[in-house]
Amino acid sequence: MDTLFLEFFQNTGFYLCDYRNIIMIMIGLVFIYLGIAKDYEPLLLVPIGFGMLMGNIPIFKGLGLGIYESNSVLHYLYFGVTQGIYPPLVFMGIGAMTDFSTLLARPVLMLLGAAAQTGIFITFLGALALGFLPNEAASIGIIGGADGPTAIFLTAKLAPHLIGPIAVAAYSYMALVPVIQPPIMRLLTSRKERLIRMEEPREVSKREKMVFPIVAFLLCCFLAPAALPLLGMLCFGNVLKEAVVTERLAVTARTSIIDIATILLGVTVGASTQGDVFLTSKSVGIFILGAVSFCIATACGVLFAKFMNLFLKSKINPLLGAAGVSAVPDSARVVQIVGQQEDPTNFLLMHAMAPNVSGVIGSAIAAGVLWSLMAKVI
Amino acid sequence: MYGIEAINANNGWAITAVGITIVFSGLVVLSFVIAQLHKGLDLYDNPQKIKQWFSLKKKMGKQLDKPLETGGSLLVLTEEQKEIVKQFALLVRTLEDHFSLPRLLELARISGVKNFYSNLKILLKSGILFPDKEGFFCWDQDLYIKIISH
Repeated sequence: MDTLFLEFFQNTGFYLCDYRNIIMIMIGLVFIYLGIAKDYEPLLLVPIGFGMLMGNIPIFKGLGLGIYESNSVLHYLYFGVTQGIYPPLVFMGIGAMTDFSTLLARPVLMLLGAAAQTGIFITFLGALALGFLPNEAASIGIIGGADGPTAIFLTAKLAPHLIGPIAVAAYSYMALVPVIQPPIMRLLTSRKERLIRMEEPREVSKREKMVFPIVAFLLCCFLAPAALPLLGMLCFGNVLKEAVVTERLAVTARTSIIDIATILLGVTVGASTQGDVFLTSKSVGIFILGAVSFCIATACGVLFAKFMNLFLKSKINPLLGAAGVSAVPDSARVVQIVGQQEDPTNFLLMHAMAPNVSGVIGSAIAAGVLWSLMAKVI
Repeated sequence: MYGIEAINANNGWAITAVGITIVFSGLVVLSFVIAQLHKGLDLYDNPQKIKQWFSLKKKMGKQLDKPLETGGSLLVLTEEQKEIVKQFALLVRTLEDHFSLPRLLELARISGVKNFYSNLKILLKSGILFPDKEGFFCWDQDLYIKIISH
């Protein structure tokens, strides 16, 4: 009987526990706390945080419980991550809830979305310089796009072994947008620039909004075909929304489907951060580079807005450049908050949505470009 | 391998340059296209504009003395004058591209356009109506839209 008890005890989490599991469980708890108590991206941080708890319960290998064991339930759910199934579904939902009116009213703001993607490529160089392989460097760079699903999608294709740290880094920085971006925005702009008021956007017709996703899809995917899964689903979702006659499908895409995909994505990504796999020197490097990437992306957007002002008759508020990263709608909200700290009657949110949604398109194109360029390397 | 050496060995500079160029060019092209989108849809709604645009282009070589704008600025009309100009615009739609002034006046009289002689003068002065040098007159739709929406 003693032997049976001893054998049972040796299979419990208390016996198998490793300090790395404890660290990851603590991080998971912090995520849950930030999500619930601080309201930082709760829809993402709570599933990821709980997934971390699930993934770091010390288990006896061979029972088919861990996410990396081929016959476990978590492994089957994780299939959607490794095969890049969930991110396009999330993109479809985003498309079904996005209004491109402000972008259509002032298309020049789209360039800010492009400028912010420069951070991705600069970080790619930084990661190469730190000794990461090109496919890993590309996956790390995409964190700067501030787009969780895109980062997961590209990493699943290029460096699946890094999905855990990259996804956690991407979502952490997305949640920390209100903390990371404002100091950079203030540092790079003068008070006078932050006070600039934007012109009222013109009225956009329903038909324009209907035609846009089709034109955008065809143009972007002919240019970068590898962006097809993400951009295709984003534009498809938006067609469902704007077509009106498919409202029922649009509602499903922007509620049930995106919610299911987000839950499965969050929990399985969280569960993939098993201490022994996650806590490595590479992960630390990824976190540092991710933060750098995010900061560079923000700075590039702001600086490009200032550059555009050299040529534009009707000046744009350079704070809008920070919304070029595709954390929708968080970075647009941050622009609004920082703008209103200078002038409470200046409403930038609507204008900031233009670079924000173009950032989503830009990061999807950047992911497509990196995927196609890295395919040969792999 | 680390640092610049690693970047060079992995073709990092070229990948970065190509990547940034593709993302920028993609979004620049897209922004240009969507900036023209509403104009394209407008033409789709009013196909006669294409016809008018081509007929005007043909005439540009012929007529040199067309008073395009008054002293470099648009003629400012009162709301009442704008209404009458709009009535003339409707009448012109029923005519050929090149029409005689008496025919337009006749139509204006039949349709009951107020003070049609004096208001016709406004059309000529503003440049909305201009001679084609062959005894007929043409209607400048672009200028008409500009003046009406001014």
